[in-house]
Amino acid sequence: MLADLFGYHLFDNHTIPVREWIAAAVTWLYSNYRPFFQTIKKPVEWLLNGINAGLHGVPPLVMLLVIFALAWWAASWRVGVFSLAALGFVGFLGLWGDTMTTLAMVISAVVFCVVVGVPLGILASRSNGFATVLRPILDVMQTTPAFVYLVPVVMLFSIGTVAGVIATIVFSMPPLIRLTNLGIRQVQGDVVEAATAFGSSPREILFKVQIPLALPTIMAGLNQTIMLSLSMVVIAALIGAGGLGLPVFEGLNALKTGLAGIGGLAIVLLAMVLDRVTQGLGERGRHR
Amino acid sequence: MVIHVIRAQGVTKIFGPDPESALRLVEQGRSKDDIRAETGHTVGVNNVSFSLEPGEFFVIMGLSGSGKSTLLRCINRLIEPTAGRVHLQTEDQGEVDITGLDPAGLRELRKIRMSMVFQRFSLFPHRTILDNVTYGLEIQRRPRSRAKEIGEEMIGLVGLSGYERSYPSELSGGMQQRVGLARALATEAHVLLMDEPFSALDPLIKMQMQDELLKIEEKLARTILFITHDLNEALRLGDRIAIMESGRVVQIGTPEEIIVSPRTEYVADFVEHADPTGVITSQTVALSLQHPRFVLDHREPGVRYVRHKAQPDVLIGVDEAGAFRGVRVAGKEVPARPLLEVLEEPAPDTRRRDMVLTCPPDVTLRELLRGRTYVALPAIVVDAAGRLRGVVTERELVEGILEKRGNQDLGAVEEAPPEADPAPLAGVP
Repeated sequence: MLADLFGYHLFDNHTIPVREWIAAAVTWLYSNYRPFFQTIKKPVEWLLNGINAGLHGVPPLVMLLVIFALAWWAASWRVGVFSLAALGFVGFLGLWGDTMTTLAMVISAVVFCVVVGVPLGILASRSNGFATVLRPILDVMQTTPAFVYLVPVVMLFSIGTVAGVIATIVFSMPPLIRLTNLGIRQVQGDVVEAATAFGSSPREILFKVQIPLALPTIMAGLNQTIMLSLSMVVIAALIGAGGLGLPVFEGLNALKTGLAGIGGLAIVLLAMVLDRVTQGLGERGRHR
Repeated sequence: MVIHVIRAQGVTKIFGPDPESALRLVEQGRSKDDIRAETGHTVGVNNVSFSLEPGEFFVIMGLSGSGKSTLLRCINRLIEPTAGRVHLQTEDQGEVDITGLDPAGLRELRKIRMSMVFQRFSLFPHRTILDNVTYGLEIQRRPRSRAKEIGEEMIGLVGLSGYERSYPSELSGGMQQRVGLARALATEAHVLLMDEPFSALDPLIKMQMQDELLKIEEKLARTILFITHDLNEALRLGDRIAIMESGRVVQIGTPEEIIVSPRTEYVADFVEHADPTGVITSQTVALSLQHPRFVLDHREPGVRYVRHKAQPDVLIGVDEAGAFRGVRVAGKEVPARPLLEVLEEPAPDTRRRDMVLTCPPDVTLRELLRGRTYVALPAIVVDAAGRLRGVVTERELVEGILEKRGNQDLGAVEEAPPEADPAPLAGVP
């Protein structure tokens, strides 16, 4: 009696069945909307397959030279040489194919992040109401442990590389939205006023003034999105995605330390290459 | 009929959650502080009216917080006025009510009829100088080649040829504001709004820019509405000046009117520290011959000879029509030469007493002062018709400079007693 009075058993008899609700919601989505999710999977699948086929189709030497040239153009000749050396090394580790698969996954995830994220960021910068609604959603997308939403992703999109890319898109889009919003909001008010005083329409102000001036910040967001997508791509191996996550995952399962090690090394090197190249792009976009 | 390019009537701007509630108090003529205490609303601009003539250089002067920048932005509605009307005279559409324009009409107005120069330049940092200057033309959707042509011409006009491909951050402040000016001129708008354009510049650069603006204005004849907190700048540039204090216009007048007859204590305080030598004109300080300091010496057929009480040996001749008929010193006729011509020559070692200087009514104290280094005798103010408008001795010069005082009422028309002096009064337009 006394124990009841002080609430020792407060949580013993009643629990809120959120667990059941979530399960029911996912099951309901699965049984009613699976065709819908299978449809929105299509464009991701097409893009991924296209890029994947392309990257695998090009002879490694040609690909290395293209990457070298691209890195030189985007950043500097040092970054070019580094990219050439890093990816060449990864090739000689015997992970060239996996690296290309991962690169294809990252590129397709980032393309979708840009297509969806930049417009959302612009909307958020123009409407405080929209920004307020969007913010907690972005928090959820960014902080929910990946393992938590891998299960519903599998149920709705099946297993495989495409499902992995979709999980990656969800996880890595927030920084791009946030920094697009921030970049546009940070454009000096007096410059926008000047554009207004010359009779610019809101659209002209956006495209001729705000976006160009926000570009360095947007590029920083893109860089973050690429880095996050690379980290997610590894976790995606858990749901059957291919690429560099696979050797890591296999190494973990079979206690093959060496295999996991070279997988990890390849991921780090690829991440560094992508980081330097996109940072270089961001610098190019920066006005003097 | 006088055409007004811009007509602002009762323009009022109230900041706060419910401006309409405070508007009643403004209409009752209550002060800014009163309204703030009672309703918590800030009155930025309080019932201001003025109008600009074509080609006029109109300066609005006031300290920070006087509402001058807000008023300027009410003209092109970067700030929406709470009450009042602003009209613009256009060549093709007659008089347009700016305050009644819809967003599209307003954009059209800003594109082609009014352009603006900003205090902190507000250039587009990601665009080259040429692309900055042609921004307005791009918005007007002019063909690119034509825009480039106009842009290059404007860059040349402000003296920045060769910097077309540079970026704003590579230029000094003065050069950046030249770009700001070229950008505003390029749209070919007839009205130029300038919001303290030179306030952020070093004094020397500021003077240069003022001179160049005047030169450009002479060439292009735009109507300019110019904001400043610097009275000397206002005096230098303005055809007319409006002085603002806590949201109200307290006086509108020519630089000389403001200096010589400040209407309020506030204006007088400003004027006290202003340099009057380039503003006050000879017709304002000149002593007319019917002033008690002058006495009639004698008459000859058709000519009266008048002398100043302090200089009995100097006789000034005037005929019946009021025309200047020469000066006699100690009984001898001395030559009279135009002041502006003499100033071109080197100054003599000693001031001459065997010659007098004549000057037109609009010569400033500065030239009169320089004239004093050539000739010790009083200067004679003679208008274009040859009539004697007055005499300037050292005493009038000193009073003009130190006390900013004129001897002739600028606005008022006085009837001259025909016996005393038939010469028309100076200062009467």
